[in-house]
Amino acid sequence: MIELIGEDRTATGAVPPARRSWAWLGLVPFFLFLLLFLVLPALGVINRGLHTTSGSYSLEPLGQAFSKERKAFLNSIRISLLTAALGAVLGTLLAYAAATARRPKWLRSLVTSFSGVAANLGGVVLAFAFVSLLGAQGLGTRILKEAGWDLYAHGFKLNQFKGFSPGVSTAYLYFQIPLMVLVTLPAIDGLKQSWREAASNLGGSTFTYWRRVGLPVLAPSMLGGFLLLFANSFSAFATAYALSNQANLVPVKISFYLQGDNSSGKSPMPYALATWMILIMMVSMAGYLVLRKRAERWLR
Amino acid sequence: MAQVGLARQRLARVVPTLVLVVAAVFFIAPLLSMARFALQNVQVFQLGTSNLFKNWSFSEVTRAFHEPAFGSTLLLSLRLALGTVLLTLGLLIPTALLVHVKLPKARAAVEFFTLLPYMVPPIALVAGVIGFIRPNARWFVSSNYSLIPFYVVLALPFTYRSIDAGIRAIDVRTLIDASRSLGAGWGTTLRRALLPNLRSAIISSSFLTATVVLGEFTMAQVLLKRTFPQFLAEFGRKEARGGIALALLTLVATTALLGLLTLLTRRKGATGRRGGLAETLTAGPITVPSERA
Repeated sequence: MIELIGEDRTATGAVPPARRSWAWLGLVPFFLFLLLFLVLPALGVINRGLHTTSGSYSLEPLGQAFSKERKAFLNSIRISLLTAALGAVLGTLLAYAAATARRPKWLRSLVTSFSGVAANLGGVVLAFAFVSLLGAQGLGTRILKEAGWDLYAHGFKLNQFKGFSPGVSTAYLYFQIPLMVLVTLPAIDGLKQSWREAASNLGGSTFTYWRRVGLPVLAPSMLGGFLLLFANSFSAFATAYALSNQANLVPVKISFYLQGDNSSGKSPMPYALATWMILIMMVSMAGYLVLRKRAERWLR
Repeated sequence: MAQVGLARQRLARVVPTLVLVVAAVFFIAPLLSMARFALQNVQVFQLGTSNLFKNWSFSEVTRAFHEPAFGSTLLLSLRLALGTVLLTLGLLIPTALLVHVKLPKARAAVEFFTLLPYMVPPIALVAGVIGFIRPNARWFVSSNYSLIPFYVVLALPFTYRSIDAGIRAIDVRTLIDASRSLGAGWGTTLRRALLPNLRSAIISSSFLTATVVLGEFTMAQVLLKRTFPQFLAEFGRKEARGGIALALLTLVATTALLGLLTLLTRRKGATGRRGGLAETLTAGPITVPSERA
């Protein structure tokens, strides 16, 4: 916007072409809309998250929210780290397998189309699918038991939020891995056959190729994907909530405090938690966008 | 030496195949178990070789239809989807065209703002609705349709991408000049020259928007709006099998619609028209997340 005003000013000497100088007005609805329905609500959250109950500005609510909901933060961070790391590695492997497979021609498009659907699947439908598979009465639970691995005898519970929350993490991988496939596929396509040939001509083994060429080229995409997956998992609400509305995770805690807030309440708690959420999203998404720019260098 | 090389070559093929097989099992298993739960009326612990093929029926799938809330929540979600699609197109097409034709300098700013929703996930946005918008405009938030603008925001990162890609792929300036020189006004130019050429991008962004809205749970749940996903969650808590059956039906319906629209947009897209559904789905950071939503 600032640039536009500048452009307008440079034109003041001569008579500016009328339709040009007024064109920026056409962007007003778009920016006004985002201001009203995105920017102001977000600033409102941060504003209330930084107000103590007595009404003074302070960072105190942020600290309090963290210490009071330490368990939820720990659970959320553990699940997000685990599913982002596993998702990044497995997603890259899957993308590589799909990209290099020659035989069934439709395989690659099947994997990408399915990833498009599964990365966006989630919420209630995904939760129910995993209840039917790994719930106490799940088909997978029964099959594993017949095979000699009794999950529930070892304290596994699908809706348990402790440690790395294996049940929830498994369900999250269902959308994390496909998301990673979509993120790394372009980078894997960017690995040129000639690089591999060059490496082997210079006497490098497959291992050397991957260590010195393949992985360094893929690294920005993988790291960026990891950050995207971390953000995706940390802010995930619907799947966890549908598995257990008592889920001890940051997003579910926010909804818990919000529903207790009958607008007269001055507790900064849900807003402080949501401020943490926004901060974490900003850091990881900014990292993702920067790394994506870097990764695109090899795609030209 | 030759043998080692052969073994290594075979290994190089075995690993990716193994990855694909394991992935297939992981991704298909939940869908199959969901289908069995929905279609077979036999408790899991009783399941054995003798009754593996007994008691299969579609009766559970239709059970949800008899719930009084089924029709009303589905109708609300469909209306929200329609409203969100119309508002999205009404807001983004003029903006993206304007940026493309007259204000290329504003591109960076507009693109930055379209990525902002990534930083404010639905659970944080709904906190803003309750903490900031509701105290100032209670009448607005109390309407079910107040969800529409927020759904436009949630879908923005990829709806804008889709429309922008569609516009970049056609020669907008030439179309406008041609249309204007033939005496058409701006309205006619938009309606008869530009929109038909953006058909593919419009279809795919509309569809993506609709899937987000039809799957959005977070904001509806926290604001206590009775949308379809909210009904699905509630129904599943009451009737485990019925809920799973309805979830399966939802998934099948969404995927079928997706397949249909991929075909619709591909036929035209094959000639190089960009912004089609397949491309939007497979390009860049498409965290539409009905999950995050």
